[in-house]
Amino acid sequence: MHAEKVNHDFEPKIIAFVCTWCTYAGADLAGTSRMQYPANVRVVKFPCTGRIDPVFILRAFQKGADGVLVSGCHPGDCHYMAGNFHARRRFAAFRGLLDFVGVDLQRLQFSWVSAAEGGKWVEVVTDLTERVRQLGPMREFKELEQEECWSGALAAADLQEAYEAIP
Amino acid sequence: MTNTASSIEQSVLIAPAVYEAATATIRAEAARLLSEGSVAAVIGYVPGRRAGTAMPAVVTDAEAAQQLVFSPACVNNLTLFLTKAKKEVRKKGRLAIVAKGCDLKALAGLIGESQLKREEIVVIGVVCAGVYGAAADRRAPLSSASLARKCRECSVHVPEGVDLLAGTLPELPRLDPLEAAELARLEAMTPAERWAFWKEQFSRCVRCLACRQVCPFCYCEQCLCDRNRPQAVESTPRPAGNTAWHIVRAMHLAGRCAGCAECERVCPMDIPLNLLNRKMAKELKALYGHEAGLEPKEKGPLAEYREDDDQSFIK
Repeated sequence: MHAEKVNHDFEPKIIAFVCTWCTYAGADLAGTSRMQYPANVRVVKFPCTGRIDPVFILRAFQKGADGVLVSGCHPGDCHYMAGNFHARRRFAAFRGLLDFVGVDLQRLQFSWVSAAEGGKWVEVVTDLTERVRQLGPMREFKELEQEECWSGALAAADLQEAYEAIP
Repeated sequence: MTNTASSIEQSVLIAPAVYEAATATIRAEAARLLSEGSVAAVIGYVPGRRAGTAMPAVVTDAEAAQQLVFSPACVNNLTLFLTKAKKEVRKKGRLAIVAKGCDLKALAGLIGESQLKREEIVVIGVVCAGVYGAAADRRAPLSSASLARKCRECSVHVPEGVDLLAGTLPELPRLDPLEAAELARLEAMTPAERWAFWKEQFSRCVRCLACRQVCPFCYCEQCLCDRNRPQAVESTPRPAGNTAWHIVRAMHLAGRCAGCAECERVCPMDIPLNLLNRKMAKELKALYGHEAGLEPKEKGPLAEYREDDDQSFIK
């Protein structure tokens, strides 16, 4: 099961926040089963999806992620009984907020991947990688990182003129 | 963006008499409570030094209670004084508080979050016809032009479940909801336009954190955004940190915010923060049928769950 090697213009960075009990084990299974999936994904392991703060997603985008995946146990399978139920509500609300601020929700994916679903992990990661590849790089947050406060105003022509007029 | 609507319609005067009646009741009640010793202090408003202003005050003796007022300039949400952020006030003992309808929602929220007990406080609810907006001319009587934006779509002119009600509600003019219209306008935009809108708004933020300091729900002893090991949100007033800060704050207030719009009022850069809060309130209403109300709820929508919650967004 060897994937064709293709050269792409743009390689998206995908950060996957996964729960240690299900999705991490699922990704591990995909690995030990020698399934191929895009190398674009960077996995960050958490004790539970309930531990994943929306701040982490913002931070990932700011630090250069083009797509973010949050994945954990199926409802009812949580190691801590209800962590994923709480996460589900939190991320439903967070999606609404991000959409309102103007972030493209196609770059953000939530999934349930169990420890037995190596195949689903491959599918989810491949889908997201391909989708983000089509969308191109995530520019919004990176641009914010690079901008100084007041940048627009300081670059104004009249200010420049005033600056140059200083004897 | 201004906090008043001046050009849209002819300005209508808003019942000045109701404030005087409320003032008289508040004074009498505060004096009674303090002299009979049933409360140690009354949190209310006293006139500010400039004409047409008012400021919060913690009154501890019956004589000083005669300075208490209620006027359209009483904009502050006094519930703030009952939170952990103002420990010195709580130490005084049993408290009475003057509360408008919108403040009462915050009070209900704090009770729901176990920050205080209902029986520990005496609530003097005031019938409120509205307060001044941020840019209003405070020497003129309150009119629909100088009314705060949140008051245009107020749902609790007469607070319920209070220990004493001050004032009676006059007939109020019907006003167009401005915030709802603004929210609808933003929702109709494309994501790229919304990003441009918020980018412009957030870029003005100077990170004075007044929005946090004035919010009755921001009572954490250590704010996530103040921590620097590890640093979750950049603390300098640069665009990246500003955007993250406002998103995080809206997220932390989701399902808790009572909509008193204090954050927006104190913002020196006029950032429409209440729009974010309103959006989150709307979102949580649509998702989980939760609304901030006058009845304390044991758990907010993000602190509980149901097994059959919508998960159509999860693959």
